[in-house]
Amino acid sequence: MHEDRTAPPQPSRPVRRVVIVGGGTAGWLAACVIAARIDKALADPLTVTIIESPDIPTIGVGEGTWPTMRRTLERIGIAESDFLLACDASFKQGSRFIGWRTGAAGDSYLHPFTPPPEADPQAVVQDWAARADGPFADHATTQARICRDHLAPRQRAMPDYSGALNYGYHLDAGKLAALLTRRAQALGVRHLRDHVLAVERTPDGDIAGVVLRDAGAVSGDLFIDCTGHAAMLIGGALDVPFVDRRDILPNDRALAAQVPVAADSMIASQTDATAHRAGWIWDIGLPTRRGIGCVYASAFMDDDEAAEVLAAYIAQAVPGSTISPAAFRRLAFRSGHRARFWERNCLALGLSAGFLEPLEASAIVLIELSLDALLDDFPPDRETMAIQADRFNALFRERWDRIVEFLKLHYVLSERSEPYWLAHRTADSVPPRLAAMMRLWRHRAPSRRDLPLAEELFPAASYQYVLYGMGFPPPPPPLVRPEGQGAAGRLLRQVAERGRGLAASLPTNRAYLDALRAATAPASLETQLT
Amino acid sequence: MTAHQLLGSDRHRDLRVRAERGAALGDAVMTSLVVPAEFRRVQDEYPILFRMNQERTDFVALALFGFENGENLFLKGDRWDARYRPLALAIQPFLIGHAAPDSDVRQVHVDTASPRISGDGEGIRVFDGDGRPTPYLEEVAELLGELDAGYRESAAFFAALRQHNLLEPFTLEIELDDGSINRLVGYHAIDEQKLAALGPDALGALHGEGHLMPIFMAVASLGRIAELVARKNQRNADG
Repeated sequence: MHEDRTAPPQPSRPVRRVVIVGGGTAGWLAACVIAARIDKALADPLTVTIIESPDIPTIGVGEGTWPTMRRTLERIGIAESDFLLACDASFKQGSRFIGWRTGAAGDSYLHPFTPPPEADPQAVVQDWAARADGPFADHATTQARICRDHLAPRQRAMPDYSGALNYGYHLDAGKLAALLTRRAQALGVRHLRDHVLAVERTPDGDIAGVVLRDAGAVSGDLFIDCTGHAAMLIGGALDVPFVDRRDILPNDRALAAQVPVAADSMIASQTDATAHRAGWIWDIGLPTRRGIGCVYASAFMDDDEAAEVLAAYIAQAVPGSTISPAAFRRLAFRSGHRARFWERNCLALGLSAGFLEPLEASAIVLIELSLDALLDDFPPDRETMAIQADRFNALFRERWDRIVEFLKLHYVLSERSEPYWLAHRTADSVPPRLAAMMRLWRHRAPSRRDLPLAEELFPAASYQYVLYGMGFPPPPPPLVRPEGQGAAGRLLRQVAERGRGLAASLPTNRAYLDALRAATAPASLETQLT
Repeated sequence: MTAHQLLGSDRHRDLRVRAERGAALGDAVMTSLVVPAEFRRVQDEYPILFRMNQERTDFVALALFGFENGENLFLKGDRWDARYRPLALAIQPFLIGHAAPDSDVRQVHVDTASPRISGDGEGIRVFDGDGRPTPYLEEVAELLGELDAGYRESAAFFAALRQHNLLEPFTLEIELDDGSINRLVGYHAIDEQKLAALGPDALGALHGEGHLMPIFMAVASLGRIAELVARKNQRNADG
């Protein structure tokens, strides 16, 4: 026998116990995603404990997901139909921005989830500019037409989580947490309903454990802070500073309403985001209700004015609705994030990591991507954690910056003249990198060179949808031809033809979800005739 | 029970058709009518046999999917395990209608009693919101045209078969792996001896009228019977 020189050093402090503090969407997603990936065949497998306070209600406004949610749910092991029914969910195929450019009638554009055909992004813009026969989104993808007709992105006969078009979901966040709670139980997650009284530290500053009101001390190796705005571990115990981004994104208030809808009403295929004089209104259609909320900047609009704006929108969007402004939920927030998301042996997830206005529904997708990054390079030992935390923090700082820039893009392209909108466009409120890209885009379309990360949250196509949706002038033909220009033209010609076929074969969202419900309802009992 | 209606973009603006496969949608059938114009594609998958029509006035050609009523050995749940489906099936629930009983004008009709008529908003639209035919209807209309032309050519084909006395009664007795015997009776097939004995003039005439190829395709299709038996044995083995 040779001596095995390649044998790894003996682990000094192995990571075996993951402790998630806080329920809600972040906590339960973390519990399920981690538990589903654990190798349970090992002699000493990873364990997951989640501590959910019975005293603290969850925020539960994150009701729009990205297409990433399909992969996440599939990995967790939930059937798509079970998810749709349990969460009162519907399909989300993108966002429609209404009134953002001028506020005039007909001012609207779509940012669909389906990217343009696989071709050089600049060639796609050139083809559209040369034809000038309608909105960019209509030219680039069949999804624009499908959304206009309130159609679903898939047929029920298709395999779970696959569709004719790219899609995510609109859902009831409270019901999602409940579904994930049940699933976590099946995956072997230890669930403690208890209140955290204190956080205990090791002599060198790590988190050693938490002390619970009933169960006493719970120790762990890796802690996941899902305590929401309280940020009990990352902020309270570890004192990682908060980076305030309100200089760029000044919105700091929201009013949220839930408006019941008629059983046969159309269900929108996209989130509608309608601009108002000091912010915007979200409108998310579920089978039984619409989640409608007003986001605004308190420096430009007071709560009563916001309530009026919201009530007026609801009266027009859901005629006959009887919801009273007294039922609006008030939320105050500050846009920003932690300076670091992974500190020592603690990873912040969800609101404890940061919050941005839900203009592009970035909340849940950041949770998913954080979990992906954690699990793709899971720390086997405390010894490796500092290296992995540094990498994680660099990647996610970049991602938060990108989201801040992309959200800001929606505002800087506006021609609206109210004080709020003018303030949004002052030079000192625009991040330098965004300002530089805007200068570039006067001369050429957004390209892959602008967005070099391997997994960009918003690829060049997203910037194009917003830029040209907002009426930004397309650039002149480039001096150097983009690769595959001919291919782009050919692929784009197929978009219209494919749209006709898809529009004919996809059911409406309402028809799909009603049929799903009917198919899974217990058979009604035959009435006995006497 | 059928309820045929002339298809119209106003009347049927929101009509949706369940175009997928399934026993509940009427696909559990033992045979389908086929026309000589499609024999070449049919013989790739199915045996082609002949039978007197219900009025016993003329022959019809049939593609065979099974050995007893309601048995379709190509239908597997929601999947049809073949590359080609006969036109007469592919066009359902549509059919060719006439503007008047003696009119030559052909119209697209729809059988509103068909299980393929969707009542729940799923299925494929026939007209879009503006009343224009969808690609699906365009495709169906093309198949209907092909089927109509095929029907009209059939009469001459069967007249030629009768003229040369090329059909003979065909009885098939099949022993399955489990020892059971299946019999097919009442069918006809091409009489290969008579076909082989035809002189150059007769062959030339048949060829000139376009009948020779479908005749040989029908002969070749009998090779599919062994495959159909294999499907039956497999289904029995699968329980």
